[in-house]
Amino acid sequence: MKKTLNLILLALLLGSVVTTPAPAQTPTPVIQPEVERRNIRIPKINVDDIEIGLYGGILSVQDFGANSVSQVRVAYHLTEDFFIEGTFAHSTVSDDSFRSLGIPIFTQPDTSLDYYHLSVGYNLFPGEIFFGKDWAMTSAVYLIAGAGNVKFNNENNTAFNFGIGIRVLPKDWLAIRVEMRDMLFESDVLGKNEIKHNFEMTLGLAVYF
Amino acid sequence: MHPGSEHVCQLWLSSVTIDWGVRGNSRLHLTRRRFATQLLLLVLVVCSLSARAEESFERVNVVDPYLELRTGPGRGYPITTIAERGELVEILRRRTDWFKIRTARGQEGWVVREQMERTLTEAGVKTSFRDVLVEDYLRRKLEFGFAYGQFDFDPILTARVGYRLHENFLLELTLSQVPGDFSSTTLTYVSIMSQPYPDSDWSPYFSLGYGKFNNKPKATLVSAIETDADLANAGIGVRYYLTRQFVARLEFKQHVALINFSRSDSFSEWSLGISAFF
Repeated sequence: MKKTLNLILLALLLGSVVTTPAPAQTPTPVIQPEVERRNIRIPKINVDDIEIGLYGGILSVQDFGANSVSQVRVAYHLTEDFFIEGTFAHSTVSDDSFRSLGIPIFTQPDTSLDYYHLSVGYNLFPGEIFFGKDWAMTSAVYLIAGAGNVKFNNENNTAFNFGIGIRVLPKDWLAIRVEMRDMLFESDVLGKNEIKHNFEMTLGLAVYF
Repeated sequence: MHPGSEHVCQLWLSSVTIDWGVRGNSRLHLTRRRFATQLLLLVLVVCSLSARAEESFERVNVVDPYLELRTGPGRGYPITTIAERGELVEILRRRTDWFKIRTARGQEGWVVREQMERTLTEAGVKTSFRDVLVEDYLRRKLEFGFAYGQFDFDPILTARVGYRLHENFLLELTLSQVPGDFSSTTLTYVSIMSQPYPDSDWSPYFSLGYGKFNNKPKATLVSAIETDADLANAGIGVRYYLTRQFVARLEFKQHVALINFSRSDSFSEWSLGISAFF
């Protein structure tokens, strides 16, 4: 049965090959145009609008003191004025001072604080910084603001941030950034729901891709 | 970058790896190991960059009477030199709308896109440094975006990745977070979006999605339980083509969470977002 089916299929296939009409003979042109072929290709250029960096600094969490914070940031430069930036950060917060008074806040002495943000930056004062007499570096003072999520003591909250920073480019592909930001979020960790201000100062190194 | 830098990078890498592998496992060394990992990452990044610096550059012919070379990629930077008509210049890099070029005399500077548009390639063909246009984005397959909105009475944050299956259809994966006053909710969705008029600046769309719902009450609440449920949604929205590869999206969605056989909850969501296509 299978064999016959195969045979029928083969026959159909062959039939279709045989019955395809042969292409009509094209008449030979009277004039043979001599066209020189141009070598067209799309120019390949390094477009480096993406900036990826590692940052470290101090984050002061309201009611809990200052701690070190580490961040990974990815920015995309839309125009010479605007950029968007995603930030992922990690810090550890301790309730030592509460614990020494006998009122622990967290289940463990240390709790993690993680946040991510999507922010928009505006290069307010682009310029140049002169270092010595031979070295000029392009720079910019920028404003930045955005929103995101913060996970503090295993609770998620919406967080808003705004700040100001300076970016200096010692090389075309390398940026050094110093930034100050305030991150705001609502928290009821001390019993009352209120908006907390968390100041942050960071220094980072970023490369353009 | 200097040609020898690649070897330096390799040396760095090997020394860092040795430091990483040989040390003991006390707590002090663990922090050192973490530091070594961070360093390793940084060195990797720098190495990948230096390797890239070896390639050859694209060359174009100046057609305008002259190109103005500035000291930085911005309208305010001073013009220090020019490249004349007929000169062959190398394009070193591009950042936003600025091109860093090197003249035949070896001088470097930044030139704005409008001037570069009127240059010719070595073969005498017009260059194509134009902006990405609206029709380009229908040919792009991948799309990334973020949105912020209101989910019932709580804020919602969404990250989305889309794949264009067809001019009119987009397959989308979304992850949303609703940090509420009493609990936080995570929504994961797979949805299909249909755009009847994909090529207009204001393009309406409809979407249908299926996903998972996870609700975690705050730790400060007493006797609250975590909820997992199946989720479905229907949405309507509009996309507006902004500029280059960016699209703004405004949408309304109605979600239904199927908590168990006898109970389902419904939520409505408004959101405004931005997406970029690649």
